[in-house]
Order: sequence, then C-alpha cells, then structure tokens
Amino acid sequence: MGKVIVVTSGKGGVGKSTSTANLGTALALLNQRVVVVDADIGLRNLDVIMGLESRVVYTSMDVIEGTCDLDKALVKDRRTKDLHLLAASQKNNKNDIQPEQMKKICLELKEEYDYVLVDSPAGIEQGFRNAAAGADVAIIVTTPEVASVRDADRIIGLLMNMEIDDMGLIINRLAPKMVESGDMMNPDDIIDILSINFIGVVPEDKEIVISTNRGLPTTYNHQSSAGQAYRRIARRIDGEDIPIPEFKPGSWLGNLFKFNSFK
Amino acid sequence: MLKQLVRLLRRNQKSKDVAKSRLQLILVQDRIGIDEQLMQALQTDMTALLSRYFELEQDGIEMEMQREGQSMALVANIPVSSLKIRRPLQA
Repeated sequence: MGKVIVVTSGKGGVGKSTSTANLGTALALLNQRVVVVDADIGLRNLDVIMGLESRVVYTSMDVIEGTCDLDKALVKDRRTKDLHLLAASQKNNKNDIQPEQMKKICLELKEEYDYVLVDSPAGIEQGFRNAAAGADVAIIVTTPEVASVRDADRIIGLLMNMEIDDMGLIINRLAPKMVESGDMMNPDDIIDILSINFIGVVPEDKEIVISTNRGLPTTYNHQSSAGQAYRRIARRIDGEDIPIPEFKPGSWLGNLFKFNSFK
Repeated sequence: MLKQLVRLLRRNQKSKDVAKSRLQLILVQDRIGIDEQLMQALQTDMTALLSRYFELEQDGIEMEMQREGQSMALVANIPVSSLKIRRPLQA
C-alpha cells in the first residue's frame, strides 16, 4: 500500500507543479513506483512540465465518467522506469469533480504504486479540496515572500481541519545572495512563523526555466542546484534520514555557474 | 529629532525582518478568524452569565475582535441598566 501526497500552496506560481514533477521523477529514480496526478482541472500544466503533453490521450475525467480504465489513462514516462502521469481534463472545470471521486482514484492508485503525488491547483476552493481529498500526507510549497507564507499558513489550517496532520514544508526559490544581505527571509524565519515539519529548501535556479522549456524535469540534471535539492527531498520523503544541508550561500551560488550537462 | 532618528533606524532595519514582523502580525489576525456563528455563541453565553448579575440592554451589546498592538483583543461593549442583586450569588 502506497502513500498519497498532495502538493499544495494556496498561492499560485510558487512552484507546485514544478515540485510535483521533480519529486515524482526523483522518487521514481529511487526505484519507487510513482504516479503524478494533475488535479488542476481546466488549467492543466503538469503534462507540459513533465514533457508528456503529446502522449496524453485520456484524463482523470474519462476515468470518472467510466470511458476509460484507470490503468489505460496513465501515461508512462519512457525516460524513467515506473513513472506515470494521470492528466487533468482541459475541457472541464474544478466543480465537475467531487472530492469523493478524486479520493476513489487515489485509493485505487495507491494499491498499485508506492507514491501518488497530487498536484493541487492554487486557491482554497473545491479544486484544492478535490486534490487533498485522498491525501495521507501534504507537502506545502512556499517561497520566502510575505504573500506566499501567509497563504501557506491558511492552507495548513485547512489541512488540519481535513485531518491531514502529516505535513512537510518546502521553501522554494530561495535566493542565497538576498538571504545573505538580509533582504529575504531565511528558512529559520519561515519555520519559526509556520511551525511545521520542514523537509527542504530549493534554491532559485535558472535551470528550472531551461528544463521546463525542454520538458525534462530538473531532477535529471545533476549539475543543477534545484535538481540536487529535489533529489535530497525525495530521499527524505522516502524515509531516508539525511540531514537538510546547512544554508551556505557560497556553495549554491557556485553551483549556478557550473556547466550544465544532462545525464 | 527623535522622529527622524526612529525613521532612520527603521530604514536601516533589514527588509527580511520587516517582512517577518509584518507576517507575524498578519497571521495572528488570520488565525484567530473567529466566524460569525462562534462569535454569536460566545455572546449568548456571556450575556447569560452577566444577566445573573445585571439587567442588560440587549440591543446595545457589541462584541468584536480588535487588533491591539502586537496582539488581538476581545472588545465587548455591554450596556447595563441596573444591578440585579445586592449580594453575591451562592454557587
């Protein structure tokens, strides 16, 4: 029996889909059987970030309507063993799915797979509630900005009401130089405010843009600082007791300028 | 002179510290977010209790959460028309 993990944030544009794609890929690279589920009905993006858009035939909507079996609706990622995508319908909207239907899909998936990562839409309405309906664990993504941290706090409250108590925080797009000069909140500041379990920092990295352009998650790129961070976080999610690296501006900055080669 | 000094100090404060303290204040308000129903229940309970001691003007009762500096306060305005009893009630 696997785990269903909802990746959520409240605020849009903080890197939920990017984090879902990268953590899903990283977990599959750890030889886990993984499905990433796009729960952003009507505004699907996870297929594009994963680079699988040309191969999507069926969506979760087809499964719910009974047009297609769940197994058949999954797109197999050919680059990594045991990595699959369940795409969202682009023709429907968030209210066309009920939390119970989403929960049923998640329960069915976790029978077969080790990790089911659900990419939640922004907001706190039905789209979020659908995404979280079948979740055992929640990963909250925030950037080190006031608006994003505030929304994260709101989401944490809602998740607690839904009795999803197992939560982990990822701080995304941390700019080491700005933290160093005191112009960006550091991880300690944010943990202090949100007081939840902290599972990792992803530094700001141009490679994210480049890899999204290519449709190849940054996790594959061993030179990328963000890719490295996602791989570490995946190991932590998978139960490995590896320390969260001390915040060292120099080392991450150094990584940004290294020559990048995809493996 | 003092105002200028305060302004100067504030400008020198690191922006991340400003962000943090603003957030802390915002979240106190957000988290408290008592809904209308809960506020109504609280008001009913409080007026019931106070009614044992005072004659209250039910129409004039006002209760709300207010921000007071770094924290939140429950501010109640409960008009009293007369005292009901002259000695404490036996429990």
